Amino acid sequence: MADELVKLTIDGREVEVPRGTKVIEAVRDMGSDVPHYCWHPGLTVAGNCRICMVEVDMGRGRQTVISCNLDCSPGMQVFTQSDPAKQARQDVMELLLINHPLDCPICDQAGECKLQEYSFEFGADGSRFEFPKVHKPKHVDFSEHVKFDAERCILCTRCVRFCDEIAGEDELSIVNRGDRNEIAVARGGEMTNAYQLNTVDICPVGALTSTDFRFKSRVWFLKQTRSVCGSCSRGCNTTVGTRWNKVLRMVPAENDDVNQWWMCDAGRLAFKHTAADERLGAPMVRKDGKLVEASWDEALSAAVEGLEAAGDGLFALVSARLTNEELFLARGILDKVGTQHVDFKPRTWPKDDLLRTGDGNPNAAGARFFGIAPGDGAHGLEALAESGLKAAFLCGEDLDERPDDLAALEAMDFVLCTGFHETETMRRCASVVLPGVTEFEKDGSFTNIDGRMQRIQPSLSAPGSARPDWKLLGQLLARLGGGEAPRSADQVLKSMGATHPELEGLSLGRLGPLGKSLPQGESPVTEGENTVTAGENTVTEGENTVTEGASA
Amino acid sequence: MGLRDRLLQHAPPIGSSQSYDDYVASGGYQGLKKALGMEPDAVTQMVLEAGVRGRGGAGFPAGRKWSFVPKGTGKPVYLACNADESEPGCFKDRQIMERVPHLLIEGCVAACHAIGAQIAYIYVRGEYPQSIAALEAALVEAREKGTVGSDVMGSGWACDVWVHKGAGAYICGEETGLLSSLEGGRGYPRIKPPFPAVEGLWRSPTIINNVETLANVPLIVRDGVEAFKSVGNDDTTGTRLVGISGHVENPCDVEIDPATTTIRDLIETHAGGVWKGRKLKAVIPGGSSVPVMPADAIDVPFTYGAVRDAGSLAGAAGVIVMDETTCMVDALLNLMQFYHHESCGQCTPCREGTGWLEKLVTRIWKGEGRPSDIDLLDSVADTIGGAQNGKTICFLADSAVMPTKSFLKHFRGDFVAAVENGGSPVWKAQEARRAKVSA
Ligand SMILES: Cc1cc2nc3c(=O)[nH]c(=O)nc-3n(C[C@H](O)[C@H](O)[C@H](O)COP(=O)(O)O)c2cc1C
Ligand code: SF4
Ligand code: SF4
Ligand code: SF4
Repeated sequence: MADELVKLTIDGREVEVPRGTKVIEAVRDMGSDVPHYCWHPGLTVAGNCRICMVEVDMGRGRQTVISCNLDCSPGMQVFTQSDPAKQARQDVMELLLINHPLDCPICDQAGECKLQEYSFEFGADGSRFEFPKVHKPKHVDFSEHVKFDAERCILCTRCVRFCDEIAGEDELSIVNRGDRNEIAVARGGEMTNAYQLNTVDICPVGALTSTDFRFKSRVWFLKQTRSVCGSCSRGCNTTVGTRWNKVLRMVPAENDDVNQWWMCDAGRLAFKHTAADERLGAPMVRKDGKLVEASWDEALSAAVEGLEAAGDGLFALVSARLTNEELFLARGILDKVGTQHVDFKPRTWPKDDLLRTGDGNPNAAGARFFGIAPGDGAHGLEALAESGLKAAFLCGEDLDERPDDLAALEAMDFVLCTGFHETETMRRCASVVLPGVTEFEKDGSFTNIDGRMQRIQPSLSAPGSARPDWKLLGQLLARLGGGEAPRSADQVLKSMGATHPELEGLSLGRLGPLGKSLPQGESPVTEGENTVTAGENTVTEGENTVTEGASA
Repeated sequence: MGLRDRLLQHAPPIGSSQSYDDYVASGGYQGLKKALGMEPDAVTQMVLEAGVRGRGGAGFPAGRKWSFVPKGTGKPVYLACNADESEPGCFKDRQIMERVPHLLIEGCVAACHAIGAQIAYIYVRGEYPQSIAALEAALVEAREKGTVGSDVMGSGWACDVWVHKGAGAYICGEETGLLSSLEGGRGYPRIKPPFPAVEGLWRSPTIINNVETLANVPLIVRDGVEAFKSVGNDDTTGTRLVGISGHVENPCDVEIDPATTTIRDLIETHAGGVWKGRKLKAVIPGGSSVPVMPADAIDVPFTYGAVRDAGSLAGAAGVIVMDETTCMVDALLNLMQFYHHESCGQCTPCREGTGWLEKLVTRIWKGEGRPSDIDLLDSVADTIGGAQNGKTICFLADSAVMPTKSFLKHFRGDFVAAVENGGSPVWKAQEARRAKVSA
């Protein structure tokens, strides 16, 4: 029955929608919007804010009704802009503001607050309410991550429903009655669910704020960049907010096929490693037992020399946190060098039924695709200590937490490391260090657990003379005789089709904002016919910054 | 046709409870016996033809409600008896629960048979310990005698009845708030659709009926549709239980023929007239939520239609009488305090608006009102009211709006006087007392 269509008229336009579609959704699908606070496409319908009012006529005269709980039915006429509908919304606005503190000047939500937006759009220009407002607790800690201001709360219950329905922890609730109502953590405890910061995103006002982001910046000063979380193989889509070349926050970006509207807290907060202080800003080579800064030319030459000398005796550990483009180049280097001792380091991450996959490598699928695995009879990571190999290439990876392997590396003749911050592995074992960058500083793509290639985009510039890994790997490959060094990650992706027909015709731009699924055996995508269907945020080639609405 | 005192015909006096044996001796459980021998749909049909309307306030025909239960869903069906009786001015349902508890139990079981339910919950107002005790004692008897339990009256059919105690919230009398509360949640009314008859308690089809509505069922089945309809008129069939309180000599509950009993009769004949020899000022006829009527409007029979035509609602039949000394600003303040206190706070208009109404009335009451406050009050009422216009989830907001608008309509003079003369006489008297104490 889901496929059955019903025809109705919305603001004079005839539309056809699947049976079961709510009017508010149908209006959205038309590219328009009915104001709403409590309704969220990912949550059950609560129908409590009463602002999504429209007028409908089902053959028995016009009636005002909330559109979030109204099924589209055949022949229905919907009026979203009629006077009674507008009046009803204005009435709700007036009522929502009578007890609201209106502390916009110091509120983190300012700039992406639905109360502000709707007041601006259709609120009245004054209030008829002249009484002291109801006072409620402010800056209450719901947990170490989430702060609550009961006076700003409009009691839409989005946060309550999120915890119960999505995070699976029914830990928020409403206490008291009437205009004394407040959100509270159940049993007086703290929020514990692993996705709690999503409540901050979906809170339509500034009632829930992120302890981490609080008072860091007005949101309109943030540069917003669409990217992908690099903490696990789900590849949640993100919008990275930066200022002063710092990541100030990361929020989920909607992608129905990956993370819907959500992301986990650990992934969201995993941008601290971008901080400049411990970063590598220049290449280094070991001289007289000590790592000293060197020019790129000197370091690259030393690296190439070591790799060529190692030949099939080279052990290569290539990070599955690198992009597809980088993995492709790394593969090219290893082929040139002629080694089979290739592997990537597994990385664990929590696992649950919502998003977290248990695999802390964001591009494990890409690593497998490009053959980052030991060849027949060759040594993998587990056999490193006993391998007797005399040279190693730690490509974006370290072995800090594996003392036996570190000892084995220390005993080697040549160790090349790339990475973005100095590791124990580098300090003890590296002959040459080439500084790469984090996933926040480069272009490229990750392939997620479901085989979806998704684009990451730079939101920061890298410190010192550090180079995006695709660039330094491309330069290494060129010096090893692999042709000209690529000028962009996009150029690398475009060149892959020659050896990987599945990727024929792809470019970073063509991945679109929502990524592209590349199931095994899919026919090669050819230039011209592959129109990427984009949501509202179309990313065009060469453009790396998109701005978007803050929340649904 | 004179009044036949049907529901309470054999009821013992207030303070005692009819035993199972006495109940059976007076014809009790014959309706159920008969119903069990009938097809369930035939029982529903009888209730439909009897035209009995919901006694909880809205007056919806019970038989029609029952016919909305979908068939063959594979889900259990539930009956919830609304015994919350939380409307100010109403105290009629307790007469049934305390004096003739078996009548309600019989009604519940018969209704279960009709709608295909095997479990009935009686949700009793928590502040009614006597009602709870009487029902629980009667249920012990009923289980023992087999009118409730695994084999109801030897029919082989099982039906259980449970008493659930409310925790003191007006909103749990609203039918879907009642269901939320019964499930163990906050007493939050639910958005409709889905309607409870389709998706109610634990998302299963559920019929919710008032105590008095269900108590009529055994009589309808036992004595037949015609006997039932011999009292009342086409609009309001059967008797009505009415509570009369306020400024009367003899506050009481009476069972009346609504077609032949006027509001004036209720006050003068049944409640001994306005107290202290004073004159009548106003009547709220259906419980605190309905529009107030001025003294000259009360010569109407107590049928749904007649009271509606006279500008109010018979509602849940709680007749509140106010004498000539009543300050209507003070009376409205009392009501606004109640609705502000009891709003569940889910919907924006009711949560914010009931508080606003109370604040405005308080300002006028305390002599701080301005002339424009009177129209403002009326206009704020319009802003928040109208569940039928989609403004709120349930009718609680309307319950605050209807008194407000009607008080202003009929007793505007009291409000103007309070604005002009430094507040309500009640406030001024309190101030004078305070001044004396501190002097
Ligand atoms: C705020 C509010 C409170 C109510 N309280 C009661 C109540 O205490 N008892 C009752 O029977 N109905 C009450 N009702 C009406 C019920 O919602 C419902 O209409 C009734 O229980 C249905 O039963 P009936 O059809 O037999 O009247 C209330 C309604 C509202 C909006
Ligand atoms: S805290 Fe925010 S999301 Fe939660 S109920 Fe209040 S306004 Fe809604
Ligand atoms: S689930 Fe995985 S991809 Fe998503 S935010 Fe968490 S760590 Fe990042
Ligand atoms: S109208 Fe008032 S009482 Fe009813 S659901 Fe809304 S807020 Fe609650």
